[in-house]
Parts: sequence; C-alpha cells; structure tokens
Amino acid sequence: MGQEEQLLEALKAAIIAIDTEKAKELTQQIIDAGIDPKRAIKISIKEAAEIIGQRFDAGDVFLAELVMVGDLMDEIGGMLEQHIPANELTKKRVIVIATVQGDVHSVGKNLVAVVLRSAGFEVHDMGVDVASSLIIQKAKEVKADMIALSSLLTTTMPYQKEVIDDLVSMGLRSKFKVILGGGPVTRDYADKVGADGYGKDAFDAVDEAKKLLA
Amino acid sequence: MTGLASGPDAMRTFTRQIEPCDAQIINGATNQGIASSAHERMNMISLLDIAERAQTSEKVEEKTWDMGLYRTISELVKKYEIKFPGDCYLNGDDSLAERAFAAGVECLERLGIYCLNTKRRVRLTRDEILTAIEDAPREILMGEGRDRRVWKQRKVEGTEPLNVCPGHHTPYTEDLAPLVVKNFAQIPRTDFIEGFNFTQVDGRDIVGAPMEVYASRRELGWMREGVRKAGRPGLAVVYYPINTRAEDLICVMDPENGLRRTDGILLSLLPDLKMEENMLSAAIVYEEYGSFKLSGSFALAGGFCGGVEGAIVEGIAKPLAAMIAYRDYMHYTGVEHIHMLNARQILMPGVNWARSVVNQALNRFSHTICMRWIIPTSGSGTELSLLEIAMQSIEAPLNGMNLYAPRHCRTTTNHGQTPLEAEWMIEVSDAVIGQGMTRRDGEALLRKIAQRFVGQEPATGCDITECYDLIHHRPLPPYEKLYHSVKAQLNEMGLNLRESSVVHAG
Repeated sequence: MGQEEQLLEALKAAIIAIDTEKAKELTQQIIDAGIDPKRAIKISIKEAAEIIGQRFDAGDVFLAELVMVGDLMDEIGGMLEQHIPANELTKKRVIVIATVQGDVHSVGKNLVAVVLRSAGFEVHDMGVDVASSLIIQKAKEVKADMIALSSLLTTTMPYQKEVIDDLVSMGLRSKFKVILGGGPVTRDYADKVGADGYGKDAFDAVDEAKKLLA
Repeated sequence: MTGLASGPDAMRTFTRQIEPCDAQIINGATNQGIASSAHERMNMISLLDIAERAQTSEKVEEKTWDMGLYRTISELVKKYEIKFPGDCYLNGDDSLAERAFAAGVECLERLGIYCLNTKRRVRLTRDEILTAIEDAPREILMGEGRDRRVWKQRKVEGTEPLNVCPGHHTPYTEDLAPLVVKNFAQIPRTDFIEGFNFTQVDGRDIVGAPMEVYASRRELGWMREGVRKAGRPGLAVVYYPINTRAEDLICVMDPENGLRRTDGILLSLLPDLKMEENMLSAAIVYEEYGSFKLSGSFALAGGFCGGVEGAIVEGIAKPLAAMIAYRDYMHYTGVEHIHMLNARQILMPGVNWARSVVNQALNRFSHTICMRWIIPTSGSGTELSLLEIAMQSIEAPLNGMNLYAPRHCRTTTNHGQTPLEAEWMIEVSDAVIGQGMTRRDGEALLRKIAQRFVGQEPATGCDITECYDLIHHRPLPPYEKLYHSVKAQLNEMGLNLRESSVVHAG
C-alpha cells in the first residue's frame, strides 16, 4: 500500500474511531501531501460513513456516536473542500427535517436526521412542534431538495398533510420532495396525502431519500 | 472500582428508610385537594418548585443536553462496572442491581431533568432525589365500588398474582372503540384499562385544539361506556392523551362522563430525561383532582443513552425523574431497543437482561411500581407474537413487574392487539408464579423459547377483526387453534399451563 493509500485508510479508521484530533491531523497531512481531496472524501469519509451506518444497523454504534461522527465528517469535509475548485464541488443534497406542529416526540426524527447526515446529506434539523410555515420558510432559505416530516401521534399526522397542502397552495410543491415517517404513519397514508415517499424507519428513510433524490 | 469506594455508604443511604408505606396509598377518592397540603406533608419537592426551576434555571441547548447525557451515562457505566455478561436474559447478580441503582441516582443528580420548552436544566439535589424515593407510595388504589382495585409494587420473584392492564395504547376507529373497550374490560383480571388514539371523530379528521378537545372527551365517553357494557362501571380507566396540549390533558376531568378522581392519566416523561410544560401543567391540576398518574419510563438502547448498559442507567433515573417532575407513581419500566421498536429484530438478549437489571434495582431500592409493557415485534394472530408475549410474561413476575397493555410495536389503526394476547400474558405469568419459578428456572425456559426465533423475521399479523370476534369475545377459529398450539409448545418446554383455556364464549 502506497503512502497515499495509507493516509486515506488511516483517516477512515480515525473517523470510525471518532478520534477527532487524529482525523484532523491526518486530513492536514493529506492536504499537505497534495492528495486529491475529492478522493479523500470518497475513500475516507464516505466509506467511513457506510461502515458506521452498518455498525449502527447491527446495534454496535449508538445515536450519540453517529452525531459525533457526523460533526467530525462535517469538520474534515470542510477542510478538504477548501482545496477543491469551486466549479468541481459537488453540492450535497439538502434535507429539512422536523417533527410537525403539536408533536413533541423527537427520538424517531433525531434518528432519521442523524442517519441521513451520515449518509452524506446536508440535514437541517428544526426540532419538534414546528409549524408548517416555518418548515417551508426554512426549506426555501436553505434551498432544500427534500422536506422530511415526522409525527408520532395520530392527531398530528394531519399537520404533515398541512405542509404538503401549503406547498401546493404556495405553488412550491414541485420544488421539494416530501417524505413522511413516524409510528402511526403508513405508506398508504403518505400516498393518500400526496407525499413523495415514506420511511418505515431511519434506514428505510435513507433508502427512500437516495431514491427520490437520485 | 472507583464507584464502589463510596458505593456501600450510598447503598445504606438508599435503603435506610425504604420501608413499607401502606399509609401512603394514593387514592383519588380520599386524596381530593392534596396538591399543596400533601406536598408539604410528604416533603417531596413540590411540582411548583419544578415549574419554577423550569423557568429560571440554567439554559442548555438540546444538542448539548443530548451529548452531555451520553457522556455522563458512559462515565457512570464504567464507574459502576455495568457490563452485559453475554448470552443471558435475566440478571442473577444482585450486587449489579445495587450498583445500577446507585448509577441511576447519580445520573439524575448530575444531569437533572431537561425542560424541552424552556430549554433549561431542572437541577435536583441528592437529598431531593432520595427524599422522593422514600416518600413515593408502593400501592395505588383505583376504581370505585366493587371494581375498586389496589395496584401494588411487586417483589423480585414475588408470588402474588400480577396486577393487569390488558389493553389499548393503540389506535382504533370510532366504530370499534366502545366494543373493543368492553372486550378488554370483560377480562376478569383487568385492574384498569387504558385509552387509545384515533384519527377521526364523528367522521371528521381530528385537526387543531377544538377537535382534539372534543375527541379527548369522546375517548373518555367510549371508555366509560365500554366498562359499563362489560358490567364493571367502577373499573378504573386511564386517559391516553390524544395530544399533549394542556387543554387536551385537562378537558377530560368529568366525574359523570369523563375522568373520575379514581381514574388515571398517562403523563410520560420523554426519552433522554426530558420533561414538557404542558405535562407539568396537567400534573399540577391532577394532583389537586386526585387521579393517579402513569409514565412511560423505559429507556431506549441505541439512542443517546448508548447501548444496553447505558440504557440501564437511564432506565433507573427516568422513573425517578417522572415521579419528581409529574408525580407519576406507576411506570412501564425497563429497556427497549430502537431496532426492536422498529420491528427490525425480534430478540436482542442484552435488552431482556438490561430490563431485568432495571426492574430488580427499582423494586429493591425504591417504591417504583413497575409494569412490563409487552411489545411484540410481530402482530396479532401470529405464532411469533404469542411466543414473544410468552417470553415477556415470564420475565415480568421474575423481575417484579406487573402487566401492561400488550400490543404490536408498529401498531396502526385497528392493528395492534386483541384481548387474546392480554389473556395469554396473564395465563403465562400465572403459570410462572404457580410453579414457583426462580430466575434460574426462567432463564432456562427463556432460552428454549428463544430458539424458536432463530432465522425468523417479525410477522405483520392481522387487524383485530380479522382474527378476533368482538361480539362473542373470543378469537376466530384459526387464531384459537394457533393459541392452543403455542400453549402445547410451552407445556412441552416446561411451563405448566393448565388444561383449561382462557378462551371462552362471551
């Protein structure tokens, strides 16, 4: 294995181990060595994210660790991107996520947000009990590709529909893909209210997002 | 181990005044107007103190709280040497339960409770936590007249029959609602029955506060109608909040057609030790009204608490926090896993073990009244569901838990439970007690049942009307046949189930 491969593999290992200092140090070495930063993102960051996702799926990694890995990937990704010419930067797909109005349940939404982020999406998590107007305003502001809406209560599911209806009435429906999720939400319901997709759980949501934003 | 350097002293503190406290039975009928006077008498930190701290204490961003929770719990797991031994379903190490309890108390002392609305940390002193543990009641009196029941804290491997909440906490359509309630209330061992949610009322979508308030009152109306039709008008009902707005929580107080003082309400602390102002508002009102309160107090492994070991720490801290923040004295306790709640995996032995540690600790060192919320990953009408329910019903008496509302983990409208699952969990737990099963015996039996899940995926199951006859209160023939088949399997494995059947003509 050449020095370049060794550095890229070492960075991948440091990300997986959530060793922030070592990862930053290796990233700087990669930059100093003139290694293609796009290759570093592909080999070190994306592959690390895939491995971490698999470990989470297997129950060996936990939500907090996914958050830490996401923060680390953002940081070193930013370091690398500074050395990529602007016209060669691949824009990340942007997703705005929220638990809808009237609902304070955060666990499912947090999980989806973190897994989406570790899958390479730029995720804007608006928290819980968020009004339709604020969700749409945020989606416009960050030029989102997708809006992901969570609801754990049967009585807040209509607020998922409200976001879709508001998008229609504002003439913005075609601007954003919308996926729904949450305990009582089903694919039938998502179809019925005019969503583009549905995630049974966090992993399903990532697959759906990848498919819709391909 | 650094944790145990102060551990024995800490444990003496925990156990110094944990005595039976029959005089503190909470009874809606006799404790009317207890809000201020009882707070002073009982010495537990008052709900008004909690409300004040939620408005004035240190501000913390939610992400900072979440990550701080993870770091603190990870430290406590190491300090108190909490480690899954591997390949077991029940904890047999009493010293581990002691250490785990100490870790749970320290967790609450170090972190406090996070108020989601004000983004503030409600700090609690060690003395406030220990006083609350001492002051909490071990028994709750509920219901009226001949339907009055006492719901008790159990002992680990206790021999008394378990208290039972047979159903709901799952959505139903309004055409089925009163009939479903009647069916669950018909189960003779039912001590209270919990409400349910729904998407439409009077054929209209439930959207917005006015519709929610109306729907909440209809829920209670159906509950009261259902228990009357079952011939048990005094049976306690528990309001399952249709939403968490304060108006939704409070509007059901109505001795005639809604919640009586002898009924209860579910006011759950949120995961990761988070409280919410509307819930606290309702808790203050219901303290004065007199209704008892329940909390969903399990921890979610895989989340911010970490793995099963971390979930043990949160699983102990959370019911104590719910008791302090909302005066919840009954809890569905223990540990679940994100992957199991999403029906991705049927069984994760570490989760059963962690649940066992939590409940043994809470029963031995606090007055927490624990319930096992039985959540199979397979749906009604399936063999897997009955086997999963059997496993969890075997665990319950051995760990000191009562029985609560078995229902599919991915419940959807009319697709979550039938009365047969409730009767089955009672039958299994009675058999465990009847044959004097110990944790060691239980471990052997659970391992045998677990073999049945190897290579299996959770089964979706049926809607209630596809496998259960609500008019005659009995499963439809294919489901009844399945029940007898699973019963025979368990008998062969060594659980002494009686010849008689819980299935009977209504």
